[in-house]
Amino acid sequence: MVAASAGRFSEAGQAQLAEIVSHYPDPGGAILPALWLAQREYGGWLPADAIAEVAARLGRPASEIQGVATFYTMYNTQQRGRRHIEVCTCLTCGCLGAYEVIDRLEQILGIHLGQTTADGEFTLTEAECLNYCEAATVVQVGERYFGGVNAENAADLVARLRGSEGCTPESLSNAIVEAIVPGRNAGATHG
Amino acid sequence: MNDSKLVNVTINGVPLQVPKGERIIESARRAGIDIPYFCYHPRLSMENGANCRMCLVEMAMPRTGPDGTVTLAKHPKPQTACSLPADEGMVVETETEAIVKARRGVLEFLLINHPLDCPVCDRGGECPLQNNTLHYGAGASRYIEAKRHYPKAYPLSEHVVLDRERCIQCARCTRFTQDISGDAQLDFLKRGADTQIGTFNAAAFSSLFSGNTIEICPVGALTSRDYRFRARPWDLATQKSICTECSNGCSIKLDHRDGLVLRVNGRVNEAVNEEWTCDRGKFGLPASISGERLTAPLLRDGDRFREVTWDVALGVVAEKLQAAGKQAAVLAGSKLANEDLYALQALCRGGLGSVRYDYRMGTQSSEARDAAAMLFGPNPAPTGIAGLEASPWTLVVGSDLAVEHPIVFLRLRKSWRFGKSKALEMVSSSAPANTHVGAFAWSSVRYADRGLPESLRSACSLLLAEMPGLTATPEIRAWAATGTPPADDTASRRMATALSTGPGTILVGEGALSGPDWREVLVALGHLAGLTGSTGSVNRLVSGCNDRGAEALGFGDWQPGTAGILAGAASGATPALWIAGADPVTQYHDPQVAIAALEQASFVVVSDIKLTATARMADVVLPSCSVAERDGTLTNVEGRVQRFWKAFEPRGSASPDWLIAARLLQRLGKPSVWFGWQDVLADMRSHVAAFGGVSLDALEKDGAMLVAPQVVD
Repeated sequence: MVAASAGRFSEAGQAQLAEIVSHYPDPGGAILPALWLAQREYGGWLPADAIAEVAARLGRPASEIQGVATFYTMYNTQQRGRRHIEVCTCLTCGCLGAYEVIDRLEQILGIHLGQTTADGEFTLTEAECLNYCEAATVVQVGERYFGGVNAENAADLVARLRGSEGCTPESLSNAIVEAIVPGRNAGATHG
Repeated sequence: MNDSKLVNVTINGVPLQVPKGERIIESARRAGIDIPYFCYHPRLSMENGANCRMCLVEMAMPRTGPDGTVTLAKHPKPQTACSLPADEGMVVETETEAIVKARRGVLEFLLINHPLDCPVCDRGGECPLQNNTLHYGAGASRYIEAKRHYPKAYPLSEHVVLDRERCIQCARCTRFTQDISGDAQLDFLKRGADTQIGTFNAAAFSSLFSGNTIEICPVGALTSRDYRFRARPWDLATQKSICTECSNGCSIKLDHRDGLVLRVNGRVNEAVNEEWTCDRGKFGLPASISGERLTAPLLRDGDRFREVTWDVALGVVAEKLQAAGKQAAVLAGSKLANEDLYALQALCRGGLGSVRYDYRMGTQSSEARDAAAMLFGPNPAPTGIAGLEASPWTLVVGSDLAVEHPIVFLRLRKSWRFGKSKALEMVSSSAPANTHVGAFAWSSVRYADRGLPESLRSACSLLLAEMPGLTATPEIRAWAATGTPPADDTASRRMATALSTGPGTILVGEGALSGPDWREVLVALGHLAGLTGSTGSVNRLVSGCNDRGAEALGFGDWQPGTAGILAGAASGATPALWIAGADPVTQYHDPQVAIAALEQASFVVVSDIKLTATARMADVVLPSCSVAERDGTLTNVEGRVQRFWKAFEPRGSASPDWLIAARLLQRLGKPSVWFGWQDVLADMRSHVAAFGGVSLDALEKDGAMLVAPQVVD
């Protein structure tokens, strides 16, 4: 068990966690947002230390925190590439060429689905419905959605991603934390 | 939850009166109606429960219509009987066509990923999944697709092996670690078809109580590394017994074959261990009595031993003892039965005229023990184990409870879990940061090395400040006011608020009264108990298995005690020493003293089950019986005398210690009238007041408490 004091949460992260926890009757209720916070603080994924730190900070058993972290697929319990390309393969995207997009991306990146490029730059996975069907095929990278992706423009997407800011697992985690810290987005629904 | 009100329910047409809120699965079981289940366990919480869906029943409740007519409204969906609280007029059917079909369906789902490797599974033959499938499942599988596969025999810890393929995700083990042992080491990882139990970061499942998960697992997913593949359940015989690995005296079952204890399972005793065991007992007991055992008496022949007959061995021993007379001494081990100790005592006092016998290997003096007994009552422990559940607060001092007294710890945790008790703890600052009791304690106060008396005094002082109206003599107030000022920290103040709520329980570990400051500790404990009104509920926790029995028998009342006996052996003042079931070379608090004494002793006879380090230094070695090979009684930490039963014949010509003593008495010309262990017990009952209430009837059940001495003013 890692003591909370030995953890890697930044001062800002600790303050945000305290703010989140204060809105729950029991710190155990804040496991999901705390894991998002940890995923940001630990650079876009949840190594064992991150889970231990969340457990220590919330006063919950580490086994329970790991159970939660491994239950939800959006928490990264393994390190992803700097860009995590998630291609929606649900009904609409699937009908409108998602698998051609995947084939093309596999070709460009030289990896198979579920793998990470040798330089650690890209991870390629499937995603369940991203709820943006009007723009099928949809690809999510970090906190950004890209619509209308097809086999022809897939190479452009990869090129664009190489030079862009953000779009990392870390920035996705941060965007979610920013959205769920109470009081940050007045009027927004708090997760 | 249950309340005392009874309601009328009907199960399969049988009208029953049951407590309102009782779960239907329990009502049905009492009425002899079998409802199959996997995840249900009466001692585990319903959080994450009702998940196996095996106990489905159909249920209807009376409904009053607008015109006042009462009709029976059937619930459209089947209900899980394990989570269905009994209510007035409830009608339950457990064997309808729909239920029979539903059970078959549930089993089909549970078996989809189950490997059906029963022929090579340890659980085969005593497996709820196997049994329920036979009774309630389909005869053949319709599932032809690929099953889920994992590596076999994943070692969760040094004791427990996990076969994830066999797991049906009933959450019994995870709930055990969360609810009962409290270490919460197991939980479900991943989801859906990938769901599996595991520990955080694949760390070892290091719970002190991990073995219980093997017992409650309804399939062969969790198995014991010691027992794995060593027997099939139908080849085993089972005997009731009492665990000898610590003083808690758990009721256990010995599963044995060919004179070997292959595994230990818990036996229900609501007064002691409920049904749990600790790993030390479950895995330690079979290990401690297996291995190379003594089978015949050994006589020293130069630097070797030579096997001799009992006749020869006892002849030598009797001659030496007789020559030593009242200078002869006996050291007894903590695992000896009450009967052994009584017989040894009779040999010393009646046969030899000696009072030199003791059982203590620690640093606690008989003076400290007797002073504590005088102050807080000798026997039995006033609160006891089950009594902890009703105590508003329980203060633990001088003991790492979970390690030294695992079952007392579980009961303390239970009383906290159901909100009845505040656990308080005073621990040395050298103890680990996360103590077992500290995990749920209302307050955990730390004191510097040997600072227990000051810590207790500080608690008294804060208590007096908290309750100005408290009745206390000026002497006590003056005492509380002296010394270092009370620690004004959160933990101490929280403890004072709990102590101020009225009488509670104090558990005093042997460690608290074993140091040179035992007088100060005792005075401070006396004052704290007096101020809180708890003088009648201070429980001394003895360490050794039958230390409480030895104490009740007056074993070791001789002042210089073990130290004096060892010194006598070294100096020649004790010309003959019998060490029965003890191993001072490894157990005495200062082993060098014991070794030196044994090296210089003129005659030492050791009776034990194995050739211990002490036995190797003896002149005569006598083979004795373990708890599995004989009958007898043991007295546990709370003063409960409990019977154990012989499981199989002794090795070779081994003999229980009471019988060795009886045969020696005969050779000394003072024959006893003991033909069996019951005769020793009967003698003990009529001659030792504390054992006066121990009836054979009670011994057949949960055991009998020692009788408190009559106080004569």
